[in-house]
Amino acid sequence: MSKTRIMVVDDELIIRESLAAWLERDGHHVEMAGSGEEAMEKLAATHYDILLVDIKMEGMSGLDVLRAAKEKDQDLAVVMITAYGSITTAIDAMKHGATEYLLKPFDPEEIGMLIEKIVAQQAREKENLYLREEVRARTRFESMIGQSPAMQEIFDLINDVAPMDSTVLITGETGTGKGLAAKAIHTCSQRSQGPFVAVNCGAIPEHLMESELFGHQKGAFTDARETKKGRLELANGGTLFLDEIGEIGMRMQIDLLRVLEDRVFYRVGGTQPLEADFRVIAATNRDLKKAIEDGVFREDLFYRLNVIAFAMPPLRNRKEDIPLLCDHFLRRYSQETNKPIRKTTREAMDEMMVYDWPGNIRELENAIERAVVVGKGTQLSLEDLPIICSPEKAKPQDHSLKEIEKHHIRQVLAENQWNISVCAKILGIDRSTLYSKIKRYQLQSPS
Amino acid sequence: MTSFFNGTILIAPIGDFDADLLQTLEKMVRETFGLPCRIEPLLDDIHFAWNAERDQYHSTVILGKLTEALPQDAYKIIALTHEDLFIPILTHVYGEAELGGVSCIVSTFRLSSDISPTSRRDLYLDRIYKESAHELGHTFDLRHCKDPQCLMHYCRRISDVDGKMNHFCRYCKVMLEDELKRAGS
Repeated sequence: MSKTRIMVVDDELIIRESLAAWLERDGHHVEMAGSGEEAMEKLAATHYDILLVDIKMEGMSGLDVLRAAKEKDQDLAVVMITAYGSITTAIDAMKHGATEYLLKPFDPEEIGMLIEKIVAQQAREKENLYLREEVRARTRFESMIGQSPAMQEIFDLINDVAPMDSTVLITGETGTGKGLAAKAIHTCSQRSQGPFVAVNCGAIPEHLMESELFGHQKGAFTDARETKKGRLELANGGTLFLDEIGEIGMRMQIDLLRVLEDRVFYRVGGTQPLEADFRVIAATNRDLKKAIEDGVFREDLFYRLNVIAFAMPPLRNRKEDIPLLCDHFLRRYSQETNKPIRKTTREAMDEMMVYDWPGNIRELENAIERAVVVGKGTQLSLEDLPIICSPEKAKPQDHSLKEIEKHHIRQVLAENQWNISVCAKILGIDRSTLYSKIKRYQLQSPS
Repeated sequence: MTSFFNGTILIAPIGDFDADLLQTLEKMVRETFGLPCRIEPLLDDIHFAWNAERDQYHSTVILGKLTEALPQDAYKIIALTHEDLFIPILTHVYGEAELGGVSCIVSTFRLSSDISPTSRRDLYLDRIYKESAHELGHTFDLRHCKDPQCLMHYCRRISDVDGKMNHFCRYCKVMLEDELKRAGS
């Protein structure tokens, strides 16, 4: 480990010499400057980790040194040294980016601990920077794939968010990889040794949700033949992933809110309060603010979940990732099906790059899986991808009014992630009419 | 430890000290540094280093005087005082040493702040042993060590001194031996 480079800047020789000698004994590389001007000259020539600067100096003051030094090197830690009289200036220096201030004379314990703290902090920052660069250099992060700036940002964010224990809300269209992001947060967190328990709130009927989440006591209801632990209990020590949180019923929202507030709950039919220690990650493709306005989602629950929030980008906003994703799925499914398809033709790739993928990665994966299953040659060709066509090709072949309406509705639904309320408004029809048209034209959500 | 040359360490008490305390220092020099030593007061008075404003003694000034007074047949000096020491930037020091130099000084003033030096005599002498070895180690160019059990570990609190062992860690030991070899060659 290299020595910490410290510069002591003080116009009193005795002060800078005694401080420098003290710090040298602690194993640091220490240099001295008798004035602000000399300090700036040294800073221009060499890198330092920490500057200890006296506030009151002839010529360039300690505050001037602080400003100039920080302008040159933002990461430099500057500790202001001050006599009791100039403490207000020291506090002012903190506002200008000083790391800390020390009142002269200082307790040996105090200076030693402060330097240790700064060195540890700088080491952590360097490590974080290194990890971020490492991640940036990779196109994969846990099970997520992407080299686009949008995905690199997500990887960075997950790295930053994972070590905290805060609740995370992941938004994004269906098929954008919200579940994978949640899993990546768990894997990179201190809870990674604990369980990752996922609950698809949209897939569990409301009347079963309570028992599913909280568990039940034997005999609590007709089918409760055994006492069963709920997902909350199972998530103890790990992460609870509440997928499709926007689909949860109002009654369950109240119960969930209470649990998130104090982490205490009761099994259905139970009288014993239970505690569980878990981190919550929630995900939704719904606009929860809109759901609050519509009165179908509790505002207090939203704020409880929305501690750290980020949105997964849709595939159409990161098309540069399509070749990478395509290659990944092609390898996976050609291995699974034992087919020798290893490449994609230029023509097929061009079409995939043009298509908007309303169902996002899930749609791409399904399309490639299907193409591999039906494909005959060694390359994935356009003929193997009838589901995905460029918008131009997706236009109706016959020009009947019925076909054009079907095509238009499908397009509006795709562009608005199948949000029925939004689509109905755009199409100028009410929701029930839209539902009946979806049924009539046999349109299906990509999810 | 084998001594490589006859570099006598001078134990220089400033003021009156009990015999067992000085014997502790002799034991420390022989055991830890493997060097010969003798007790010889060099300074009768350290009033020249007194700071009226702080009511303490400036240790760096004392080190300067000790080095000037180094007898020709001595190699290094460890001085001992009952007075409270300081360096200008710090509120106090338990001791000070010239890094890679000649002199060092240890103050007993704060070494018994939390114990009775008579009823806890063994502990008190043990602290003096460790602090003296630490300061003398600095004169052999040894820096503070991360190992909390090593004599060269810098203790933030006096109670931490009790957690140290009475010897150097293997790294500090190697560096001390290198320094002794250099001095003897």
